[in-house]
Amino acid sequence: MIELKKISKWVTVGGRPNFLLKDVNLFVKEGEFISVMGPSGSGKSTLLNVMGMLDTFNEGEYKFLNEEVHKIKEKQRSELYKQYIGFVFQAYHLIDELTVYENIETPLLYKNVKQSERKAMVADILDRFNIVGKKDLFPTQLSGGQQQLVGVARALISKPRLILADEPTGNLNSKQGEEIMNLFTELNKEGVTIIQVTHSEKNAAYGTRIIHLLDGRIEKEE
Amino acid sequence: MLKNYLLVAVRNFLKRRIFSLINILGLSIGISAALIIYLIVQFEFSYENFRKDKDSVYRIVTQMNNPQAKQTFPIGGVEGPLPAALRNEATGMEAITHFITLFRSIGGDKITIPGNPLPTVLKRGKADITQIIYADEYYFRLFPHVWLAGSEQHALKEPNQAILTDERARLYFGHLRLEDIIGRQIVYEISRDTIVCTVTGIVKTLKGKATDFRFEEFISLKTLTEAQLANHSVADDWSIISNASQAFVKLKPGVKPLQIENQLTAIRAKHQEDKSNQGKDKDFAKHYLQPLNDIHFNQEYGPLLYGGRQAHKPTLYGLLLTAVLLLILGSINFINLTTAQSAQRAKEIGIRKTFGSGKRKLVFQFLTETFLLTLFATVLSIILSPLFFKIFRDFIPAEISFSFLGRYHVWLFLALLILCITFFSGLYPAWVLTRYKPVVSLKNQLYSGSSQTRGSWLRKTLTVFQFVVAQFILIATLAVSKQLYYSLNKDLGYNTQAIVSFFVPFDFDFSSPTSRRFVLAEKLKAIPSIDKISLAGDVPAGEFTLTQDLNFNTGKKNELLTTQIINTDPEYYKIFNLKLKSGRYPFPDNILKESLINEAFAKAVGFKNPEEALGKFIQWGNAKLLIVGVLADFHTKSTHESIKPIVALTSKSLNSHIHFSLKPQTNAPGLWKATLEKVEREFKQVYPDKDFEYRFFDETIASFYKKEQAARKLLAWSSGLCIIISCLGLLGLVIYITNVRTKEIAVRKILGASASQLTTLLSRELIVLVLLAFAIASPLAWIAVNKWLQNFSYRTDISWWLFGVCGVGMLLVAMTVLGVRTIKSAIANPVNALRSE
Repeated sequence: MIELKKISKWVTVGGRPNFLLKDVNLFVKEGEFISVMGPSGSGKSTLLNVMGMLDTFNEGEYKFLNEEVHKIKEKQRSELYKQYIGFVFQAYHLIDELTVYENIETPLLYKNVKQSERKAMVADILDRFNIVGKKDLFPTQLSGGQQQLVGVARALISKPRLILADEPTGNLNSKQGEEIMNLFTELNKEGVTIIQVTHSEKNAAYGTRIIHLLDGRIEKEE
Repeated sequence: MLKNYLLVAVRNFLKRRIFSLINILGLSIGISAALIIYLIVQFEFSYENFRKDKDSVYRIVTQMNNPQAKQTFPIGGVEGPLPAALRNEATGMEAITHFITLFRSIGGDKITIPGNPLPTVLKRGKADITQIIYADEYYFRLFPHVWLAGSEQHALKEPNQAILTDERARLYFGHLRLEDIIGRQIVYEISRDTIVCTVTGIVKTLKGKATDFRFEEFISLKTLTEAQLANHSVADDWSIISNASQAFVKLKPGVKPLQIENQLTAIRAKHQEDKSNQGKDKDFAKHYLQPLNDIHFNQEYGPLLYGGRQAHKPTLYGLLLTAVLLLILGSINFINLTTAQSAQRAKEIGIRKTFGSGKRKLVFQFLTETFLLTLFATVLSIILSPLFFKIFRDFIPAEISFSFLGRYHVWLFLALLILCITFFSGLYPAWVLTRYKPVVSLKNQLYSGSSQTRGSWLRKTLTVFQFVVAQFILIATLAVSKQLYYSLNKDLGYNTQAIVSFFVPFDFDFSSPTSRRFVLAEKLKAIPSIDKISLAGDVPAGEFTLTQDLNFNTGKKNELLTTQIINTDPEYYKIFNLKLKSGRYPFPDNILKESLINEAFAKAVGFKNPEEALGKFIQWGNAKLLIVGVLADFHTKSTHESIKPIVALTSKSLNSHIHFSLKPQTNAPGLWKATLEKVEREFKQVYPDKDFEYRFFDETIASFYKKEQAARKLLAWSSGLCIIISCLGLLGLVIYITNVRTKEIAVRKILGASASQLTTLLSRELIVLVLLAFAIASPLAWIAVNKWLQNFSYRTDISWWLFGVCGVGMLLVAMTVLGVRTIKSAIANPVNALRSE
């Protein structure tokens, strides 16, 4: 599904390149559940953003579902991730002005899904996540765990084949974190590929493969 | 999708209530002004637009050239026989019409309907004589009307026929059926003639239409010419060119105005030939065609009917500029506040981008938001519009009613305006907001660097621009006010206070002591609260002026001098306090024996010393007038104009006004009112059928400056509105700055900064902008004001304090606005700020 070949990314500080990613090679097959670990500043989030096409890279090749990402235009790239990728963030990143229902609905709007269909899909997922009763609340009225639940629901609504999660449990207590992890495992069993960045050994263990990053390189894989 | 956008927009407005309110208020001020100004400008430019053939109709006008004086004198009329000659001798025209307009005559005018008990006195406002014309039978062919009774076919063909509009028909005949009015008689007593006319038709009035053709009564032109009535020479004498005699032509398709002008020149040349054959002087008139839609604006040729209202194009452009400026200022507020807050919106944008929103969709979303905001502002401005109607009262023609909302083009204009504002003020913020990279915005890195970004540079420029505009207009307002004050309070050379003048009707036995004027003057002398009384010509700065070319022998040579004649009596000098430069005032009882000149006269004929003029004579008609004194110069016109040579003499035939000065009423309030009532009673006893219309002299003087008064009012209002909008913007910016710097303020406070230090810190940046704006606005205003002052022969200087007042005033206002917010955040408890961070 994902092929990263010799991906490098750097910023120039004081005339010298400062590598955020260096010669990263990574192959991800469909259906995998990968955890990316490493200390702060090791390039975890950058790697995730590159895979999610939210960020660019300076060198190397990136194939996503056999599309050569580094060669296609911004617009096609946007089409690509809109179609196949769902994002989950540490800080949830829900739109404060929208209710739970509307937040979940937003990706569908951008995919031009018809209203009746949207309604059914959102109702479905609300049901599945057991948050029907909260659908008219605003994000600020929810607890962190509930917000992240909405965040995951929003990521799933467009039926993505890949979920990229950047420390999804970072702001949650352990019980809430466990719930999210169980949810991910369940989704993975249904065939969704998941790549998560995490600090926690425990959560990393949910994954089928763990990748350790250090100073922008892949240090080891488990 | 749209619903989602609108929802977010509304919730955003509610979340940032103050900013939304500032935006809406600022925009709605601009929109209200734009709406009213649109109504005015649209109305003025739509004059005669309802006529289908408006582009082929022209008025014939005249330029009198005097090769000796190197002057041209424009007249909005023609010599009476010209239209008929044109009809017989020229080609290329579909129709030619000729009509004579009327003006109020000195004797007063009256209309009687046989059978009606009371005559209708012709007066401004009710049945105005200027709405009656003598028109030829081609009038209705060129200017079609809707016929309610009778027909166009035989209209105005014979003498003593009259056509009325339904308005006038109702006024004269009440609720008689229109068909029954045909054949009824009307007796006109106008211009010392009595004319009996038969009504042969009734047309629909053009009242309410945008037209200068406000005529309500049409008397056949033959009535005037065949009966040789008092004014007939205007209509049939080749040597008289008056703007009372109007000719219109309608060109055939494809004919150019120049072709007709050439034929007019030829006709004129032929008649000049005849004239010189008869031994008369040639004159130098040349005719031109004036387009129909120029009549409403061309001040040179004047209005169509006596006293008609014309529009002043520069004023209209000034109004348009005002509207555009106010709109721009409101939009700047929007741009500033939206880009200032963009960091707060950045997260939402990042999320939307991550979930697949393209740039175009985001731009569309923000434009939708701007659109909604503008829509709210428009609704508010419609609610506010009655207020703006009041502000622009002096500029709004009476025909524009408040029911403008019923017109489709007003809505079209508003829709267009909303779209323009949306794009103008929405596009840049939308671009700023959507260019953020989602990764950056989601990481919340925007806040820290926001004060150094390009957006802030642009914001500062825009804020400076706002204040430049506001201060420029403020300085202009102050300067115009100063000049007005100067003009009204300048020593004009005479007394203006507590003097009342009124017109006394003409008597044929004007020189006899039993003439009604003298009787009235004697009676008024008995009123104790009247100080002095004079029977003479008009006031020193009146509308009735007599200007003549006088031959004057200085003793060395003959001088031809254009001189204004003023008619006085001995009391006149005392009432108006005209001062002597040398010599003496005339003795009483010196009818046409003694005279005074003014300094300008003495200077014009080359006397170095006013005394030199004493003892010389002025030839005035058959009278030889001894110069007994020289008057100090005084203004007979507004301060726009320089002082002309004047001869003051005493002639009974030129008497037209009674002037009296009132004793002070400081100890007895209401004294003047009682006195005026007494005077009116006496007047009515002498002239039972005339109206008593008096005027205070200082009001007459003030009316010279109507245009300036109106300009000052407009400037004052627009500067006020500009300041309000700009201060709203300033308030928005300072709220934003204090919000962003909450943490910094808290840290500084913990480190020991005082509240006043913090206030200074927060305000300094914006105060610098206001000062910078002042530095830019001052020289610009200086140039503009200087140029405007050149219009006045007698003008005030531009003083430095004008700029001082403006600068300091603006600074104080800005500091107050800033203080409201900065002080609040400076004295806030820092712990709260840090905890929430």
